[in-house]
Amino acid sequence: MREKLVFILFLIALTSICDTINQLFLKSAINSLIPPGGNVRAVLRFIIKLIAVPRVWLSFLFSLISLCIWLFVLSQVDLSFAFSADSMHYIFIALASRFILKERVSLKRWMGIVLIVVGIALVSLS
Amino acid sequence: MFKNKLTLKLLFFLVLTDFLETFIHLCFKKSTLLEEGVVITSPFELFVFLQNVFSSPFLLIGLVLVVGTFILWSSLLSRVDLSVAVPICSFSYILIPLASIIFLHEKVSFFRWGGVLFILLGVVLVSLSTSEKGRALE
Repeated sequence: MREKLVFILFLIALTSICDTINQLFLKSAINSLIPPGGNVRAVLRFIIKLIAVPRVWLSFLFSLISLCIWLFVLSQVDLSFAFSADSMHYIFIALASRFILKERVSLKRWMGIVLIVVGIALVSLS
Repeated sequence: MFKNKLTLKLLFFLVLTDFLETFIHLCFKKSTLLEEGVVITSPFELFVFLQNVFSSPFLLIGLVLVVGTFILWSSLLSRVDLSVAVPICSFSYILIPLASIIFLHEKVSFFRWGGVLFILLGVVLVSLSTSEKGRALE
């Protein structure tokens, strides 16, 4: 039982990591274009332009991997547990921002991350 | 600092994305219900599992809604600050356990609600500090 929980948490971490990589690729692709205006049509045109950027396809690939792992996770555990535990992607994004993008992560954000970790621990205990 | 005032209309669409997100994950979970507790030991079994899940109509509905929500969310983000949008959208951390109880008959213990509360506070703290970062960059 305990081993299964660790395995599932590991898989959820894996989907979170894939999501983080996907976000990093997406962000870098978006940054290479001029930002769109506010209306839905401008956003649609922007998305069409975005699809032509190769990095976006890498981002799609990682979301597909993440989706497949996520579906397996959902076949094993409750949705209410899996979705709460999936909030760990905030942790990976903060770590990636700090160590890959070399952004400054504020104290408030680290505190938020600690709260998320405590929350995931509580959710996993039950 | 804020791109726009948070109008009632924008708030409506932000809350709508919460409900869409909840609905998407319900669909995903529904698509795996027939495969509950499946054991995968070989690439072939993984293939069969994915084939079964991907042929479920629930998964297709979920995927279409993912694309729709992505477009809605991107156009909302050009009008609302991320530090406003994310806390409103983290409402789905409460909606999903509620929907799991109602539609999937899952049991959510007192402990788990406590955990959800911590996660919610954490997400709000993390997203509130995005406005700080924006200020530091200016």
